[in-house]
Amino acid sequence: MMETIMELQDVWKIYRMGEVEVPALKGISVEIKKGDFVAIIGASGSGKSTMMNLIGCLDIPSRGRIYLKSQDISTLSESDLASFRGKTIGFIFQQYNLIQSMSAFENVMLPLEFLEYNDKDAANRAREILTLVGLSDKMHYRPTQLSGGQQQRVSIARSLASNPEIILADEPTGALDSVTGREVLDMLHRLWEEQGKTIIMVTHDLNLAKYAHTTIELKDGQIMRISENNEVNKK
Amino acid sequence: MKLNKCFKHAFNMVLHSKLRSWLTITGIVIGVAAVIAIVSIGDGMQQTLNAQLNALGGDIVTISPGFERGGGMFFMRGGGGGGGGSSAPQATTKAIVLGRSDLQALKGLPDIALIDTNIRGSVNISYLGKTGKVSVTGVDQKVWSQITTIAIKDGRMLDSADQNVIVIEGGLASSYFSQPIGINKMVTINGGSFRVVGILDDSGTAVYMPIQMAYQVIPDKTVDIYDTLVVKIKDQNQLDEVITKIQNKLMTARHVTQNKMDFSVTSRKEMQQARAATMSSMSNFLLAIAAVSLIVGSIGIANTMFTSVLEKTKEIGIMKAIGARNPDILLIFLFNAGFIGLVGGIIGIILGTMLSGFMPALMGGGLPMTRGGTIVTLNSIIMALSVSVIVGILAGLIPAYQASKLKPVDALRYE
Repeated sequence: MMETIMELQDVWKIYRMGEVEVPALKGISVEIKKGDFVAIIGASGSGKSTMMNLIGCLDIPSRGRIYLKSQDISTLSESDLASFRGKTIGFIFQQYNLIQSMSAFENVMLPLEFLEYNDKDAANRAREILTLVGLSDKMHYRPTQLSGGQQQRVSIARSLASNPEIILADEPTGALDSVTGREVLDMLHRLWEEQGKTIIMVTHDLNLAKYAHTTIELKDGQIMRISENNEVNKK
Repeated sequence: MKLNKCFKHAFNMVLHSKLRSWLTITGIVIGVAAVIAIVSIGDGMQQTLNAQLNALGGDIVTISPGFERGGGMFFMRGGGGGGGGSSAPQATTKAIVLGRSDLQALKGLPDIALIDTNIRGSVNISYLGKTGKVSVTGVDQKVWSQITTIAIKDGRMLDSADQNVIVIEGGLASSYFSQPIGINKMVTINGGSFRVVGILDDSGTAVYMPIQMAYQVIPDKTVDIYDTLVVKIKDQNQLDEVITKIQNKLMTARHVTQNKMDFSVTSRKEMQQARAATMSSMSNFLLAIAAVSLIVGSIGIANTMFTSVLEKTKEIGIMKAIGARNPDILLIFLFNAGFIGLVGGIIGIILGTMLSGFMPALMGGGLPMTRGGTIVTLNSIIMALSVSVIVGILAGLIPAYQASKLKPVDALRYE
């Protein structure tokens, strides 16, 4: 039995729109196992972005509890949560979200700087990962000098910099053509398979779900179904 | 994040928003340059005053009849108008004068080296058919040359055996009449003929003659009644004590109390200090005006920082997602603001120093009291630099705090 890396217990997220309360998530309870490849799917407005923010510890629930590696995230201070997040979760965004004024290398260095790695170790690590994603010759390029696929690879490298256990990818292929999108998915797959990372991918695209081992289907802020795809297995 | 990394990111932020950063820096440059230039004028004035104070002799004390309470009483060399009567206070009914008995009383004080007796008045002067009106001072020629602080340019000072001779100031000699007055030339003063034996090294137009001759030339003067007694004391470090001794001695001799004192004892040091106080309040006023531009500059920093936080909201969200803590974001933005202040301060100091060099020329060379030039002191540089950095950081405080408090989920959603 795999160990649980993240657990949501009766999680509600309610937004206030003036006088009206709008629940985006309604009592979600789910466990995510360490080393799983999870796809969270759902149509627009199903609450998957809200769920991603909560799983990514970017937001805290209105009600309910979220445990990340057995730690209740709502008990942490903002700064402690930021450090915990930096060490445990790597983010890949749809729009890459790279810092435009920094080179690929500097973008990958950034999380390590926040975690106060020493300069030499951080630089070695950044070079190593950029090589891993196939950008060893473009380390000092700015995001504007890179193609979409290359930018997403920088983003993947950044998410791996601090060697986190979880990679959280929000529509990672949303801005890419099908060929490049596939390359990115293959890369995520390799990270899952070869490095044992827990991958959580949020997407509206049902075709992407077939890459995942576990699929969580959301509708109107509730979990409709959790299914396992036994065809997707580590070799 | 380590401090040096925060600083590096702050520096990069400045580099990557060049135009806006430079515009903001310009605001600080103007403020700091103005402060530096104005402080340099003030410091220049101060140095000139100090130099004058030393040159004038801190050991000279002037005693005059009459007393003004609560106000300064100035007796400028050569500036006397109507003689003793006019300098007496309005409130008195009996003429208050200085006489022989006062002179005798002072001679009894061992702290006094020399006493010069002066009378002063306005006279008609004619030279080669041209006439004019100048101030004449009758001096005790035996001591005057040792008390006066003006040097002789040509000829000699008055001598104890002199009669019917005068020493004149440089301005009268060179430019008062169409023809310059040279040594041994004869001039007519209120009908009497006098030979010029010395020309002083200054630009004034006053005439100095032996006091016995002055009694004959200046109207309405009584022998042995003096307009002022000018005293040179032995030890200028004892100035304040000797002034008190002189006051006590004269009060006894004149049978008056402190409250009814009918004479004034002033030193040139006091006159200079009064001028210094005026100068200081003037330069403080100018400094206040300059400070306003520095404040405007700091508002510019605050404005830039607010804009920058807004512009970088998404980046702040990204940084927080990948592990930036609130203090990291706060420091990056504070360093950014401080850096703008620092660069503005350094350029402002350079510009202000150059400006202060041009200042006397810019103001037509007529800037009062700055013959010694303007001075940019290390103190004012350190002050300007620390003020500009502090102003920068203060202005950046609220925007940086706002940035640090942004919720990552909201910041990431910001477009």
